[in-house]
Amino acid sequence: MADASPVDLTEDERRRFQADALPLLDSLYGAALRMTRNPQDAEDLVQETMLRAYRAFDRFEAGTNLKAWLFRILTNAYINTYRKRQREPQKVSADEVEEFDLYQELKSHDTQFEATPESIVLDSLVDSDIIDAIDDLPEQFRLAVVLSDIEGFSYAEMAEIMDVPMGTVMSRLHRGRKALQKRLWELARDRGIVKGADGSGNQSSRNESSNQQSKTGD
Amino acid sequence: MKERCRETLERAYLFLDGELLSVSERHEIKRHLEDCAPCYERVGLEGEVSTLVARLKGCQPCPESLRLKISSLLDETR
Repeated sequence: MADASPVDLTEDERRRFQADALPLLDSLYGAALRMTRNPQDAEDLVQETMLRAYRAFDRFEAGTNLKAWLFRILTNAYINTYRKRQREPQKVSADEVEEFDLYQELKSHDTQFEATPESIVLDSLVDSDIIDAIDDLPEQFRLAVVLSDIEGFSYAEMAEIMDVPMGTVMSRLHRGRKALQKRLWELARDRGIVKGADGSGNQSSRNESSNQQSKTGD
Repeated sequence: MKERCRETLERAYLFLDGELLSVSERHEIKRHLEDCAPCYERVGLEGEVSTLVARLKGCQPCPESLRLKISSLLDETR
């Protein structure tokens, strides 16, 4: 990190980096936070990414995708430096993911889930639930979901960023989303938003209170 | 499950992500979703989960102190 080698950039390149890369800090920090799951590590990772990118900016091809380029550096820095000291979550096993079917679960437990996909279960989840669920995903799945669903990268850009073939991107994203749905479902069940198989949860009382609300609202 | 349903669901993510499908393939999927309520619900649910995740964008912005620190590090790095 304390690389003291001089930066070989023209004044124009320096200005361009500041003008174009600094506005991407929110995206980089948000992704770093989901990668490291720790604010201090996320700050260090973003700082390292920006300094690495600055030193290499003369090799960035003007007119190409700066955000994807920065995310590739971020991902590399994360894998090389931070991943080694990360705990790997075991709450979601990669194997059991394929069998999970959120649609079937909602169909059988969520009485509001009818002709439209609007679901009382999904509606009841707050941002911190989604963050917890993402943070519980195995690393490769987590990265794919963050890059696609939060940052909006295309499959081709993700292949570039993660340095894997497009088929691998698609498979990680598919399994990542399945794993996320499973985790969200478990969170909802643990909180009693839906009844588990053992009959725990308080879905009926929720329904009663929402019925009462709609009556008083009339 | 009907063959058309299976094909549609296999390509649901490609469809939702706006990826790798020809105009006619997209059109085919759209038409099937208009006709088939279970597929419509399933694909809609996938979309809804992705929308939930997308909501996180910008919910934890870069701290101002880090922004200033990086800015001054860039100025110093010559």
